[in-house]
Amino acid sequence: MKGTAAAALVFCVILGGCGGQNAGPAAPGAPAKPRIALIMKSLANEFFLTMEQGAKNHQAAHSAEYDLICNGIKDELDVNRQIQLVENMVSQGVQAIVIAPADSKALVAACKKAQDAGVVVVNIDNKLDDAVLAERGIKIPFVGPDNRKGAKTAADFLATKLQPGDPVAIVEGVPTAFNGIQRKLGFEDAMNGAGMKIVTSQSGSWEMAKANQVVAAMITEHPELKAVLCANDSMALGAVAALRSASKVGQVLVIGYDGISAVRERIKDGSILATIEQHADQLAVFGIEYALEMIKTKAAPADRETPVDLVTAENNP
Amino acid sequence: MNGRRLLTDYMALALVIAGLVLIFGVSTQNFLQFGTFRNIANQIPDAMVVAVGMTFVLIIGGIDLSVGSVLGLGSAVLGVCLVRFELPLPVAIAACLATGLACGILNGLVIVRWRLPSFIVTLGMLEVASGATYILTQSRTVYVGEPIERVSEVAAFGLSLPFMLAIAVVVAGQFALSGTVFGRHALALGANAESARLSGIRTRALTVSVFALSGVLASLAGMMQCSRLGASDPNAGIGFELQAIAAVVIGGTSLMGGRGSVVNSFFGVIIIAVLAVGLATLGAQESTKRLVTGGVIVAAVILDYYRHRLNKA
Repeated sequence: MKGTAAAALVFCVILGGCGGQNAGPAAPGAPAKPRIALIMKSLANEFFLTMEQGAKNHQAAHSAEYDLICNGIKDELDVNRQIQLVENMVSQGVQAIVIAPADSKALVAACKKAQDAGVVVVNIDNKLDDAVLAERGIKIPFVGPDNRKGAKTAADFLATKLQPGDPVAIVEGVPTAFNGIQRKLGFEDAMNGAGMKIVTSQSGSWEMAKANQVVAAMITEHPELKAVLCANDSMALGAVAALRSASKVGQVLVIGYDGISAVRERIKDGSILATIEQHADQLAVFGIEYALEMIKTKAAPADRETPVDLVTAENNP
Repeated sequence: MNGRRLLTDYMALALVIAGLVLIFGVSTQNFLQFGTFRNIANQIPDAMVVAVGMTFVLIIGGIDLSVGSVLGLGSAVLGVCLVRFELPLPVAIAACLATGLACGILNGLVIVRWRLPSFIVTLGMLEVASGATYILTQSRTVYVGEPIERVSEVAAFGLSLPFMLAIAVVVAGQFALSGTVFGRHALALGANAESARLSGIRTRALTVSVFALSGVLASLAGMMQCSRLGASDPNAGIGFELQAIAAVVIGGTSLMGGRGSVVNSFFGVIIIAVLAVGLATLGAQESTKRLVTGGVIVAAVILDYYRHRLNKA
């Protein structure tokens, strides 16, 4: 297993062309540059790909300051592989690990081992579980967006277009995903706060086709529905397709989350009302900058929130 | 096929469907409406055509695990041709179907050349096709919009073009199975490969053409899904192969080969679709949906076991 992992790592570094490999050796006499490992979730996902690209661009612009080693896993369920990657990076002697954990509980032990070995660990994207961290007696700073706040921002904007008492529906993510649960809570905060009636809330499994099916059924059962709140943009696209086959585009408002380019098109033509931009390209960069700061100052870890911005027809470029 | 045979062959599944419609009809306010049936008709064309291909694959004793990711790849090729290369619609559709055909032929050739189990070869294709999809789309959802949406809007009697096309595929598939040499040979190959070969059937060519059929139908399903959603989702079709296999087996096609019916696979697709739409209309939680769907799949297959015993008696 270890051999496979190492081979895969070498392969990945060669293919990926991570900035660190192009940076060349440090100038003689200068202190060695810190090496930072970025460990991502599935690089088959647009969101993480954008995140990785942002990190590579940042490294290219700051190649004098640090080297970067990027790694991803096959899909978001490949937890074992991610644990192996953490162990590999520690034995390679990196100074810091910036990680988007595939599982908020299972990765805690590996991160603790890294910290014990003197490696700075920064958690991005998906927050490690507070209870497990406390049980292990460790602190790992989290740098990332507040999904609940982002979802509430989008839903608050939606509420300004509705009348109190209007029936609305929520399309959730995969029921076990932490960020999906947070977004659902954010939607509920805003809708309940504004006095809307949530008539149904079901999972669309993050997928376009699944959300399409669920929303089609929702609008048949609740023809009076005024809005559909989707926990990601793919599902918002699926919702719009369902509205189109029922000739209800525009009558039922749709919001999404993530700010992918396909949804920006739909915001332009008015079939989607709003989405949330999480600045994927900056997320890993925030984590890297924080890690560099911690290497220098040895500061005590504190969480840092990254911005979430509302995208509507007014500010959509 | 005599009257009594027809009755036992189609009645059991039709009864299951009627039962489900009745249950959802009384437990929700608006299930029994034209809107529900239009929803189902709009959503099943992709599952229908994939199930037709899968029926033939199972009949010859094979399995095709790559249909879901070939569906995704077909949809991606179509989206990228239309948006990035700005090709005309007919050319883009041809490229989409050619991609599926190529995947299917490749599956078939590898299987017969090295006498490998189709399970592992198509599992490999599942990974290869989804990797190709990610490269092609750069893991991004390709927004297509109007040009492809028009395909789904062409309608007569409230039915979309993809649905009518899927019905045509089912009819043609059933005819090919029960009325042509191709179908008889496929059944013979699935029942006993060795005796089929000895009786002069060109089993290798037959195997390749069955997998080619499955591939091209999977990419046709990709086109249908793309036209319904107005976009190509790089994650489209994940888990679709299992749904297709479930529908076909519910329809009484044997996983061991040698026995099957395209029309019954169509009923299997309807059962799964009615369940999905009905449970969503009810507003059931994801956990409930999975428990009920799993239970109904097994129950339908048990029902098929008794239907079979009845036929033999």
